[in-house]
Amino acid sequence: MNNNIDVLIIGAGPAGVAAGIGARKEGAEHVVILERDWDAGGILQQCIHPGFGLRTFREELTGPEYMHRFIKEARDIGVEFRQNTMVFEMDNNPDGSMGVWTMSKERGIERLEPKAIVLAMGCRERPLGAIRIPGSRPAGVYTAGTAQRFVNMEGYMPGKKAVILGSGDIGLIMARRMIWEGAEVEGVYEVMSWPGGLRRNIAQCLDDYGIPFHLETTVTKIHGKDRLEGVTVAKIDPATRAPIAGTERFVECDTLLLAIGLIPENELSRMAGVEIHPVTGGPVVNDLLQTSKAPVFAAGNVVIVYDLVDNVSDEGLIAGTNAARYAAGKLDKDMRRIPVKGGDNVRLFSPQYVTGERDVTIFMRITHPIEGACKVIANTDTGIKLYNQRLRYARPGEMNEVRLKAEQVKELGSDVNAIIIDIQPA
Amino acid sequence: MPQNKFDVVIIGGGVIGASIARELSRFKINIAVIDKASELPSGASRANSSMIHGGFDDKPGSVKAKFCVKGNAMYHVLKDELDFHVDECGSYVCAFSQKEIEHLEKLLGYGKANGVPGVEIITGDKLREREPNVSPEIIAALWSPSAGIVNNFEAVAAFMESAQINGAKLFLETQVTGLIINNDEILGVHTNHGDFLAPIVINAAGVHSAEVSSWAGDTSFKIIPTRGEYFLLDRTTKGFIHSFLFACPSDAGKGITVAQTAEGNLLAGPTATPQEDPEDHATTPEGLDEVLRGARRLVPNFPVNLNITTFAGVRANTDTGDFAIKLLDKPRGFMNVAGIKSPGFTSAPAIAEYVSGLLKQELADRVEFKVNEKFVPERKHIPRFLFMSNQERAELAKKDPAYAQIVCRCETVTEGQVIEAIRRGARTVSAVKMWTRAGTGRCQSGFCCPRVAEILSRELNIPLDQVTRHGGESRLLVGKTKEFILNKD
Repeated sequence: MNNNIDVLIIGAGPAGVAAGIGARKEGAEHVVILERDWDAGGILQQCIHPGFGLRTFREELTGPEYMHRFIKEARDIGVEFRQNTMVFEMDNNPDGSMGVWTMSKERGIERLEPKAIVLAMGCRERPLGAIRIPGSRPAGVYTAGTAQRFVNMEGYMPGKKAVILGSGDIGLIMARRMIWEGAEVEGVYEVMSWPGGLRRNIAQCLDDYGIPFHLETTVTKIHGKDRLEGVTVAKIDPATRAPIAGTERFVECDTLLLAIGLIPENELSRMAGVEIHPVTGGPVVNDLLQTSKAPVFAAGNVVIVYDLVDNVSDEGLIAGTNAARYAAGKLDKDMRRIPVKGGDNVRLFSPQYVTGERDVTIFMRITHPIEGACKVIANTDTGIKLYNQRLRYARPGEMNEVRLKAEQVKELGSDVNAIIIDIQPA
Repeated sequence: MPQNKFDVVIIGGGVIGASIARELSRFKINIAVIDKASELPSGASRANSSMIHGGFDDKPGSVKAKFCVKGNAMYHVLKDELDFHVDECGSYVCAFSQKEIEHLEKLLGYGKANGVPGVEIITGDKLREREPNVSPEIIAALWSPSAGIVNNFEAVAAFMESAQINGAKLFLETQVTGLIINNDEILGVHTNHGDFLAPIVINAAGVHSAEVSSWAGDTSFKIIPTRGEYFLLDRTTKGFIHSFLFACPSDAGKGITVAQTAEGNLLAGPTATPQEDPEDHATTPEGLDEVLRGARRLVPNFPVNLNITTFAGVRANTDTGDFAIKLLDKPRGFMNVAGIKSPGFTSAPAIAEYVSGLLKQELADRVEFKVNEKFVPERKHIPRFLFMSNQERAELAKKDPAYAQIVCRCETVTEGQVIEAIRRGARTVSAVKMWTRAGTGRCQSGFCCPRVAEILSRELNIPLDQVTRHGGESRLLVGKTKEFILNKD
């Protein structure tokens, strides 16, 4: 069994479709994108609000419009899409060869043996169980993304009066969406001392509609037998994150939407034996977006959760291009890999290695906000300064970038064992 | 026979009601099982440890010991006959002190006297060879190889479906509101859907059984609804432990256990908190903390970060401490099978066999117990795509392409399975969950909920906003978009 696939891409969201374009443009003959939903587009299919593609297209597009441009280009240059197709198993062969098991109504159960693979499965939302809120389990508790699917794709409302827990971007977008549909939003509650999502979404989705935003507050109990009847909210002590006694308040609502974080979806990556980073939850990659398994590449939210889709598309393109190079036998197998390390205020970053094969953007998220002048830096462990960029502020909800030129990395001597990135007050 | 006239009415479709119905369906009699819920199991059978106990906990000669050991043996046969999941994993009762070893020795004596096969005491080191993740402070353990864990959703569905295949009728969303008694004879029950007439009525109403019993004039026991809270962890924890782990019991119960479910999730619980309300299934901060403490005592690195859900069940403990299994003299024809606390799930098939035998012996004047020669003992569960080989999957998908369309990504449940669950009686999202595992995985139905709802809407031919989570008022959706806006002005 060979099926003659050069590059197989798992997931037809922004990362996967861009990877398809990248692979075809690099000369891969047979490029196939597998998508488990009924149409390509990934989560952007249900993101019908504008605000996508400002950087890539200098236009404000809706999610479907943004994806349409990429999907059309991919189809035009001969990328094959297989919808309603789920990858349910990946081989972890000791010899490094790859096998992928797929299922679909059209083709049944099938095993594919591509020359290279791009993982582009994206991420999923953290469910209620992950944060252990006591109480009952009535209908009316949804992750914000599930509610968004009901509203935007099915045309149904999850409820009439919502409380939103967590201030991730989808929660903020859904707060506004519920208002637009005539529902009430009692408030958005965030356990942390700062918002989880972008400032622009706080302004456009909450402030513009007068939706109260409560920091250092969380839901401590869920009430209701059949349908949600309300939640108890309480202030928390930022040091311990424990609820402060006496601050509890009952809020009547029929809907609780959760926007409490996104988790890269890597069950398949684990099956394939790809090394997973303990902090990002995504594959460990180098600047070519190659994983610890040589034929397997990864891009987008499956690696690290991005703020902006433009970055996801850029990364997809890089992964697809290099997967095609690998499939054609053009990738150097013994590249030098310099590890990237995070400084004190860096929570997570990607890629974790740089080769100097290309100019690279290292995406990072910090642990604690810095409200004031600060700088993003990258130095080698031997003290060579590679990057220094001043910022007006730095916040966990908004990614920062370190940009390194290929030559900068190539020039580094063999005494360099790591590149350390950080954000510090200026 | 008129539509509402039966030979036997069973109140409650939990593991007790369902297994009695199945046992009675060996006779040519008309059986009605009545339950107020929209889906089964819904009471204590739904949220419990699902353990198949070895049978060493109870005093030799006691009713519980007899039913438990026999029930255990029956499960090892029934699981194949009725095709539900049992993991014959064995159990350990762990001792942390010399005093607790004495307790193990007492249990070992009970086990031997009760005829529990293969029980023995092993050292803590031996235990850690088999279960490397248990606490280094455990110094000895009582091993019971015949213990196991059952998929409780599948088992109740299997008992009930087998009964239905053999003629029993199931009435869901039907609440019994009173008994029909005349001249000290039971004649049937009143429900919200009219009267169900029958010369034999069995009270298997779980946490509500004392109330039902009191309508018959028997107030010899009280039910103390006892909440048990649990953590359920992701299936990626499979193999973290392999068996059912107990600490030595205290007065409060058998204590917090840690187990691997039949499908490979880690399960920890339960607490044992008496409460007033038999229907309050809420978890509490204190309860969850207690479970976590107990779990960590047995398994110090209990990977709680992989928790996918917490839940609580309410079990029907009695004030007498015993099962309340009794055929009343008055009203004649009424039988309590109540207060079936731990080891209730284990005992259920043995209790069912006992009840069936007793009814046949004592109430032959009321109902003719003729053998049902067409009784079919076997039934098959819905195909479990997740646990099939790829060759089996390919064959299934070739026969029916719906088995190649994914609905639940975490537990690899296909559209074919969901459609089959609905064909067999699932009417709600959580009934589909209990039949197929769709929604029991790490995303907790974020992905599959809209898809399952859509299939329910299509297959049952109801609008999407009439689909419920678990029946009653638990609608998932409250209307179409634009409706609120248009209706506002």
